[in-house]
Amino acid sequence: MLVLQVLTNGILLGGLYAVVALGLALVWGVLDIINLAHGAFIMLGGYLTYYLFTGLGLDPFASLPLVMLAMFVLGYLIQWGLLNFLVRAPMFNMLLVTFGIDVVLTYLAQIMFSADLRTIRPAYAGSNFTVGGVTVPWTNLLAFVVALLLTGLLALFLQRQRWGRAIRATAQNLGAARLHGVPPRFAYALTFGIGAALAGGAGTLYGMVAQLTPYVGVPLTAKSFAIAIIGGLDNPLGVIVGGLVLGLAEAFGSLWLGPTYRDAVSLGLLVLVLIVRPTGILGRAS
Amino acid sequence: MRAIKFVVLGLVLALFASTASAQTITFGASLQLTGSLANTGRYYKDAFQMAVDTINKAGGVKVGDTTYQLALKILDNQSDNNLAVRQYTQLLTQDKVDFLLGPYASGTVMVTSAVAEKYQVPMIEGGGASGQIFSRGYKYIFGTLPAAGSYFRSTIDMMGKLDPAVKTIGLLYADDSFDTSVAEGTRALVDHAGMQVTVDERYSTDASDFSTVISQLKSKNPDAVLVAGHETEVLNFIRQAKSLNFSPKLYSFTVGVPTADFRQALGSDANYAFGMTPWLPLASLKDAYFGDAAQFAAAYQQRFGYAPDYHAASGVADVEAFVKALEAAGTTEPKAVRDAIANVSFQSLYGHVAFGANGQIDLPQTVIQVQDGKLATVFNGTDFETQPMYPMPAWSAR
Repeated sequence: MLVLQVLTNGILLGGLYAVVALGLALVWGVLDIINLAHGAFIMLGGYLTYYLFTGLGLDPFASLPLVMLAMFVLGYLIQWGLLNFLVRAPMFNMLLVTFGIDVVLTYLAQIMFSADLRTIRPAYAGSNFTVGGVTVPWTNLLAFVVALLLTGLLALFLQRQRWGRAIRATAQNLGAARLHGVPPRFAYALTFGIGAALAGGAGTLYGMVAQLTPYVGVPLTAKSFAIAIIGGLDNPLGVIVGGLVLGLAEAFGSLWLGPTYRDAVSLGLLVLVLIVRPTGILGRAS
Repeated sequence: MRAIKFVVLGLVLALFASTASAQTITFGASLQLTGSLANTGRYYKDAFQMAVDTINKAGGVKVGDTTYQLALKILDNQSDNNLAVRQYTQLLTQDKVDFLLGPYASGTVMVTSAVAEKYQVPMIEGGGASGQIFSRGYKYIFGTLPAAGSYFRSTIDMMGKLDPAVKTIGLLYADDSFDTSVAEGTRALVDHAGMQVTVDERYSTDASDFSTVISQLKSKNPDAVLVAGHETEVLNFIRQAKSLNFSPKLYSFTVGVPTADFRQALGSDANYAFGMTPWLPLASLKDAYFGDAAQFAAAYQQRFGYAPDYHAASGVADVEAFVKALEAAGTTEPKAVRDAIANVSFQSLYGHVAFGANGQIDLPQTVIQVQDGKLATVFNGTDFETQPMYPMPAWSAR
């Protein structure tokens, strides 16, 4: 029974991990930008949800689209007004700039929101149901469903939609994409905006199961980075796989080795994937 | 003409500043003003500031025949231990502060106290309780938090008197210096009390997912769960315990419970949580500068907009211990002041301040519990002051 419970915990955790990493993987895969401010975007999404909830009484799941929209605009503006100028610069410059954005957002958040711990607690937070001796928390289950939904929508958008295909085309061959009339600046800003929107949505879900402080960003960026590598960057579904693998590895690592080895398990897994399948579990062999 | 006026004004000011600094004793500290520990670091900044201002207002410190004003030089270490070490070195070598006040958290005190020891300048700290800090034979570090190993002593004493009796214990602790010390001390205390530790798990600091550990605890079902960790971890533990429907008869936490932040973050889910504090804002704790602890708490709340907890009181005790030692030493020479600190013994708003041979204070922990959204003083080490809400009902029955 314990094993079943831990399995459930791991899967639910994996779903949350997937949605946390989704935006980073998209931006990395398409724009080749490792966005070090990704975790800070998640943090902002969380605070936005928190204030919509405590200020206007808006249910976190209802505020999800609003938060995503607001974060889309922020992400679009950052790419359009700042990062587009650096697209041809060496990768190191991009790392520095996104790191700078992370620092600015984190400290702005401390000034505006203080370092107090915030929790988003709707009435149903913490409620659960039991199936065959396994306890399933509602919030985590809903977060899992939302994670699957967002990933599915993103995959559909990239495969089927005109602008989704334009984004992929820009990533694969800039010259050819331009010849077919894709304005790269717009495609880049659109992608970064979607990445930020996904981060904002992740913030809403994260804020319901954990605490918000201005400093939650960096560990989340690191986790997203590991998940993106484990799952692979070619396909949004890879992120789901990466998240689930990591969630399950942490849950069972915690059970069998002890919870103090959590980081050893996740980083060990990362190294293993890099050795055995450098393009990720779902990545295409290069 | 105007330019000359400004130059003259500047010279006069500079003159004043230099004569003033000759009569000033400066305390240096590198604190967690930003970063992951900023939430607790602020207590020390505000407490130090308030103590220094209040003592200056009361006329300053008389050392030998000279009266000194106190000053503070506080740097922000961004919750980074390496930066903290560099900043303490800078405080002594470049800023030439006279004495050191310690930072928050055992790990940070562990590494920065080595700077104090190296330069032989005393540091009094109110933020690190791990036994490891005081077991290295260092001469220049003094601490005003009670020993980590005995944090759960009063809680375990209380559990011996509860009905239904507590027989089995789940012990969960973070893998840092302070919490490892707590766990070592707690195992011995539990053994001594004739109880049994049935789950004993160490988790990595900053862990946010406790679902596996909680599932393990649930399957072994110990009577009481004792958690030694940090505030965010404690909040995660309680929220996930609720979402996984786990409620032992009692749970207690080394940190978080005394703070207003904790009750605000959890709302009604904070109820039933036990904790401990070496300090409560009682009118019976008299103080030479602040009147008593209750007056101090009111003035602190008024000035900073949030209530002080034991971290703040411990910070004030650090400054007062320096003042007592300076008065007794009659000189500002670091070695003489160090020896005087080792011998201070006085009543303060924090309690009776005196250091053991290893440099650490000995104060009893009072058991507290959140009852109906308010903090109740439950057990003072020998007697019940308020009836504990025990056993804790299932989450669905609350």
